[in-house]
This record gives sequence, structure tokens and C-alpha cells, in this order.
Amino acid sequence: MGGSPFSKKNVRGYEFLEHTADVLFRAYGNNLSELFENSAEALESVMIDLSNVAPEDIKHVELSSDTYENLLFDWLSTVLIFFDVEFFAIRRFNVTVKERSLTAECSGEKIDTRKHKLKVEVKAVTYHELEIVQDDVYHVNVTLDV
Amino acid sequence: MKIMDLKKVNDFTWEIKKDPLVGMRVPGRIFLSETLLNYLEPGAIQQVTNVAKLPGIQKYSFAMPDVHTGYGFPIGGVAAFDVIEGIISPGGVGFDINCGTRLLATGLKLEEVYPKIQELVNQLYNNIPAGLGSKGKLKVSEKELDQIFINGAKWALRNSYGNESDLKHCESNGHMESAEPSKVSPLAKKRGMPQLGSLGSGNHFVEVQYVDEIYNENVAHTFGLRENQVCIMIHSGSRGAGHQICTDYLRAFQSAAFKYGIQLPDKQLACVPANSTEASDYFSAMNAAANYAWTNRQMMSFWVREVLEHEFNDKVNVVYDVAHNIVKLEKHKVDGETKEVYVHRKGATRSFDKDPSYGIGQPVLIPGSMGTASYVLCGTKEAMEMTFGSTCHGAGRILSRKAAKHQLTSNAVIENLKQKHVSIKTGNISDIPEEAPEAYKPIDEVIDVVNKLKISEVVLKLKPIGVIKG
Repeated sequence: MGGSPFSKKNVRGYEFLEHTADVLFRAYGNNLSELFENSAEALESVMIDLSNVAPEDIKHVELSSDTYENLLFDWLSTVLIFFDVEFFAIRRFNVTVKERSLTAECSGEKIDTRKHKLKVEVKAVTYHELEIVQDDVYHVNVTLDV
Repeated sequence: MKIMDLKKVNDFTWEIKKDPLVGMRVPGRIFLSETLLNYLEPGAIQQVTNVAKLPGIQKYSFAMPDVHTGYGFPIGGVAAFDVIEGIISPGGVGFDINCGTRLLATGLKLEEVYPKIQELVNQLYNNIPAGLGSKGKLKVSEKELDQIFINGAKWALRNSYGNESDLKHCESNGHMESAEPSKVSPLAKKRGMPQLGSLGSGNHFVEVQYVDEIYNENVAHTFGLRENQVCIMIHSGSRGAGHQICTDYLRAFQSAAFKYGIQLPDKQLACVPANSTEASDYFSAMNAAANYAWTNRQMMSFWVREVLEHEFNDKVNVVYDVAHNIVKLEKHKVDGETKEVYVHRKGATRSFDKDPSYGIGQPVLIPGSMGTASYVLCGTKEAMEMTFGSTCHGAGRILSRKAAKHQLTSNAVIENLKQKHVSIKTGNISDIPEEAPEAYKPIDEVIDVVNKLKISEVVLKLKPIGVIKG
């Protein structure tokens, strides 16, 4: 990702960084809702090629927690569970985060291995150095165990 | 902390000085040759240091020669904690609880198998569920899953998926006591149910190998291995069940650690006092996942047997089965006194000097990277004295998955394997570069270090002829 890490015009709200064993991404957002959306998309993009996942069905999520980091951990773990347990891939995330609570609409479809290209199995979201930082924008580094 | 700050203790031991100002309770010790020192990442040194800060840690925060940056604990990390003053940490075990390695010995010679290797690889691939989200071939009910959590590989034996000898040749006989299904969340059960008897993806594999070189004829003979003998190595873990159990307790321990006033250098190191109810709950659930993993490898062994019986009319024996992500309550000598400690091995293998089934040091199974040699070693008394009976678990990564994909193409890696006479079958060609030998440390160098340190003694070398990957 070149230039400004996050600009309204050229939004690619996450980037992958070097990690020897696992997958490390940094997600950005102008606000917490965007940060949570971009983090979820980064996770989803590790597991499946999103280009031909259709937003056919909607899953609703409601979560609340004591800290924003715990909320992010719960949220990403929920997205992973949709994938691993329900075999449901998500193309579009519409997330609202406020006061350590989250509501989300996740549009996607059931995974069909003949149609979709599966990528890497994510075992879990980790807490490793998980800290949401706010400077110009919000950002967070997330390590996934793969 | 940088590499230049490490103090050389001997040719293979590097010490991170205990610095109470940063909260270290013990020094760190990293086992590396001068060559392997070049691969040591500052992140890994930091992680060894962070573990040294945890309450009740005994002697040293150790890292084996396959050390590399992980999350929380370093990979290759070993740490033992006092049962009263110490802690238990789910992050010190990792998500893939009882990820481990099993070695099966066939009665076949290389020359009998090699001409049919591609067919054998295809048959194994067809008979063992592998790949992302792979589901096992049998459906177990929740009630049966609970029995698997409690009984481990014994469940497989009772259901005709193995024999007594298989269990005898497993670390802890493929069964941890004090596993408690009621401490496992419904979600972990839901993830575990469909995946029993599946390999998974990433660095998990089934490999067809042969005994290439024997360094200790007597020990090899005791382990039932001889030159040119064909073996099968399985590397897999506890699948979604283990991943979810770790996730659940890691999450719960964020606030529990705070409740007990434990300062965490990293949230992934969340832990609770070893004598707390929370620790006991995690330990019971962790043991359930460990039992699941042993059952999982037992199921896959059964399917390997089916193929070998069908293709070659051959019988297969279990040589051994080791866990390399686990916490165990073990007795070790600390300051001249034998005491119980919780030994966390995160990407490290037990290396006990006495194995009841063989009457000598336990077999230690160390896989190399894809297409390179694997080794069988033997546990030693030096490991008991130095490292809480522990040694390395593999080659250890040096290239990130991203860098590996950037530097190597799938075709080049497959071509390279072909030149080494190794057949491969995988459901995901594009990820092959991630597991290429270039992404890992040289296994021979790692083995040389543990052998010279005598934390395990090299017995023989295995070379691959076929690889099945998820």
C-alpha cells in the first residue's frame, strides 16, 4: 500500500506486514466502525479469495465488551467461526461500533469449494500486541495463527 | 535487547541476562550455533524475555535452536512454573493444542515402494481428509466426542481404530488424565465434532519417508527401525476443538489475570495462578484437546494402514507419537530438589531419558521442512537436567509466508521436489512456497545443536519420497 495509509479516495483499509510464522496485518479506519470493518475484511481475505463471493445472505452480529481490544478479538473470532463452523464467507461488512458495543450486518454466501478459492486456514485470532491506536486515524496490528 | 547483548555461555548456549528493572525473574537461555545465531530475530529475543517475566518461572526461559518469533511465547519456547507461586498460560501452549508428530513404521523397503510412490501418495491423499476446513470421514455425536475428550486414543482402540501397541508407543499413552469435557465450551465441541480424523492445512502433512542413515544402530534396532525401511510421518493437531479451547480461555484470562494482579508483558501471555480454579478449568479443557489430538492422529494412522494393507498387503506399527504444543504437570529437579512444575512446551518436544515402552530414552521425532530430512532422536538425562526434559520440534521458520511466496513460485518448488525424487499431492498448489525448504532453517544444523548439547541424541535420518499436504 503506497502513500498515505488511509485516504478516503484510495481506501484499502488494511495491509499485510512481515511475520515469520503467522499472518500479521495492520488495519486502519477513520473511526472505530471502519477499523472493525477493515480488520474483518483482512481476516476474511486471508481465508478465501473474496473476488467471487456474492453478498447473497446476511448474518447479524451483536456484541459488547469491557474494552475495544476485547471487542475486536470477539468480533474477529465471530467472523472466523462463521467461516469455520458455518462455512459462510463474508464479502461485505457493515459495522457500527459505539460504547464498546458492536452491531454488524455481514453479507456473504455459503462456501462452495467448486466455485470459491480457499486460501489459508486460520486457526485463531491472537492477542499478540493487540492494541488499538488512535493518531491521525485508528489503526491496529492483528496477528493470526495459521 | 539485541543479538550483541547476548552473553555466550558455551558454543551452543546464549544467555539473556536477568534484568529485574524490566521485570525479568530469571535469565533467558537460547540454544544456537554461531550459524543459527544469524537467523535469530530481535522479536524472538523479546518473547523469550517476556516469558522470563511471568510469575513463578523456574531456572530459565528457554528457547530451542528452532526458535523463531511466535505470538506471546516464542516458537521453540520451554518454560516451567512452580505449582503454587507460578502460573498456567494458554498462550504458552498455543491454539493448536497437542499439535504433534507421529511416526509409523512399515515392513516395506524403499525399493518396494518407490516405483509406486505416486500411486501411494494419491491413495493416502484420497483416504485422509486434508485441507482448509477439512472434515473427518466419521460423524461423532456430542456424547462420543466427550468420550474422546476423556479417553484420548483409548477411544480409538475401543472402536477398533488401533491396537494396544499403538497406545503403548505414544507420549502419555495417548491419554491425559484429568480431562474434563464440561470445561469445554459448546462452540469448541461444535468445531471439534466434524473435524475428527482430519489433517488440516498449513504446515500439517503426511509424509512417506525411508530410513536413510543410522547413527546409533542399537537404539534404532530398539525402536524397530532399520536402513531403507519405509516410514510414514503424520504432523497434525487438535483442529478446531483445540483452537477454540485456547481462544475461550485466552479471552477469559484477560480479565482473570487482572483480577489476580498479574502484570502482562503481552496480552497473548494472559495467565492465572497455577493453583486457581481458572487454571484447573483450563488444564482440564487443554487435556481434553490433547486427547482429541491423539485420537485424531490415531484415526489418520488407521487410514494409512488401510492404504498400506490394500496397496502392499503390509502391516504398520507406531514407532512413537510426540506432542509439541502442550503444558504438563511433571516432576523435575530444581536447585537440587525434585518438585512438580507445569512445563509449557510451545513448539518444543519432550525428551525424557526413560520411556517405559522401549526401556531407554524416548523416541524424539523431529520433522524437517517439506522435501528435506527428518530425524529420530532419543531422550537424554542431560535434557532432564538442563531443559525440563525438552528439545527442539522442527527446523523453525526463517522466511515469512509472504516473503516465501514473493521469492518462490509453486512450480519452482515442485520442480525442486521432483529433482529430489519427492512426489507431492496437495489441494492448494498456490500455498506450496510457504512450506518450501528455503522458508526454514537448515534442519541438519538444528539437529547438530541439540545433539551436541545432548538434550537429545541423534539416532537416524529419514528422507522423504512423498508428501501429502492440506
